[in-house]
Amino acid sequence: MSKILTRFGDGYKVELTEDEVKADIEEGCNDAASRAGIEPLARDEQEHIFEMFKNQDTLVGIERGREVVMTYDGMSSKIRRAHIVIDRVQSLQVFERALGADTLELSHIDYSFKPCKPINGFELPDLDLLLNSTVAPVYYGAMPNLGLYSQPDGPCPNPADLLPLGKIDEARQAYEEAIEHAVSDIVFVASAMYEAGVDGINIDTVGAAGDADFLTALKATEILKEKYPAMGIEMGMAGEFVLGMHGNLSWRGVKLAGLYPQDQVRLAQQAGATIFGPAINIVTSGTLPWNVARSVTFCKACSEVSEIPVHANLGMGVCGIPLTLTVPVDALSRATKAHVEICRLDGL
Amino acid sequence: MIEQGVVESAGQCLIKGSKEEAVSLARQVIDGGADPVELMNLAFIPAINEVGDRFGRGQLFLPELITAADAMKAVTDVVNEVLSATTTVRSNKGTILIATVKGDVHDIGKCIVTSLLQANGFRVHDIGRDIDTEKIVEQAVQHDVDIIGTSALLTTTMPRQKELEELLKAKGLREKFKTMVGGAPVTPRWAQRIGADAYAEDAQDGVRKAEQLLAIAVS
Repeated sequence: MSKILTRFGDGYKVELTEDEVKADIEEGCNDAASRAGIEPLARDEQEHIFEMFKNQDTLVGIERGREVVMTYDGMSSKIRRAHIVIDRVQSLQVFERALGADTLELSHIDYSFKPCKPINGFELPDLDLLLNSTVAPVYYGAMPNLGLYSQPDGPCPNPADLLPLGKIDEARQAYEEAIEHAVSDIVFVASAMYEAGVDGINIDTVGAAGDADFLTALKATEILKEKYPAMGIEMGMAGEFVLGMHGNLSWRGVKLAGLYPQDQVRLAQQAGATIFGPAINIVTSGTLPWNVARSVTFCKACSEVSEIPVHANLGMGVCGIPLTLTVPVDALSRATKAHVEICRLDGL
Repeated sequence: MIEQGVVESAGQCLIKGSKEEAVSLARQVIDGGADPVELMNLAFIPAINEVGDRFGRGQLFLPELITAADAMKAVTDVVNEVLSATTTVRSNKGTILIATVKGDVHDIGKCIVTSLLQANGFRVHDIGRDIDTEKIVEQAVQHDVDIIGTSALLTTTMPRQKELEELLKAKGLREKFKTMVGGAPVTPRWAQRIGADAYAEDAQDGVRKAEQLLAIAVS
């Protein structure tokens, strides 16, 4: 029997038999289902993923008529990473006019709301230029990045110092204190940018510092939505479940630690988010058929319950894309096709 | 043979994060004549793995994980203490230096590997966690070890294992030592890619690979 060339989650190539690919797809679905308490993919959906991997063309594409909206995060810096000398506004013009982006995201290289606050006045001229030279909706994006509020980078005691000493209550208080500072910074930056003309705010990599980080994003979204009902707010997650760094935080009666995408999106939409981006971790020792099937299972359950558009995060190390500096196009196109066609996503 | 009740109690102690109860249980079982290695293999290691698995699934959270890890470290210290008291009567299969690489403070897995290597007749120099690559090489030379084992629990610290390979080559010491790598994100492909001599999946595999490496080394 001929073998199928694919990869592991770290991008390393591997050849598998058809039976091995089928078994990996089934196991990936079952792993997601057992973790999140959701249904595995149906047999025909698993077969659809198998056919994508069986097809040995370098690139695969989605069916005509299934095209989705393309959004990007951190797009201000991505072309410059390729050592191309280009400023932020030009970079976003390239994304709009050459790369097919449907929305644009202006962001600062620090990409966290805290450092973006004192330089807000310097961000506005670039926003002005961008708004006057592009057509697509413009987001301003950054991360809550709660870690920046702990000593030595911020004013709050550092939970990473307190927890190993057994000072769990003190560590939890430190997280709670950090939340208030972070919410204040997000609201400040988002308000200033919105009043200057930006179409929406992208609160990105939410939950990177655990449940306190997710609570920060929910609270900030709630305040912003009340303040500016028409503001677009995209909430993109950092991982497949909310890490319990605090462990006891709730929002509107729902405990945040341990929530998977189908529960995360419910809270995001209640808070006022207008787009939700699930992020499913890659497992580097698992094959891509396993990882893609697993990610699609999580994202499909999220998409099914969501009343707001779902734009899954397909990028380095998330949603079935290998953890490599340059994403292999065979892997990217298969993960994209699987997510778009099975999860009924609204965008990527 | 470790009784099923002990296995269950060990699990409960770690999940509750009760260090005192865990240490007391370990001492009681060892004093009762049980093999400390068997106690680790059958009771505490599966228990800490269960804790890690629950954390990885979002069913148990960081404060609980830290208290469980602290209890596990205390139990590992008890077992190591007993083992080191008996190593004089064991044969020395070889000398191993073990460390967690710079930037990485995780050491539960490393301590378990240390325990099992000692229990299997190796002389182990555990030089701790967050150890600079230069220091690892210096200590390996000073103790004249056969194998250097490094642990990395983060994708961001894995490159230190590659740095070790490069430093050994730069100092002309690569042929003097065998190298073994481990840690949650580490894979056999990573070991092969950086040029390490072996990859250890877990503590038991570490013992197996150490035996294989030294058999190769002396042949």
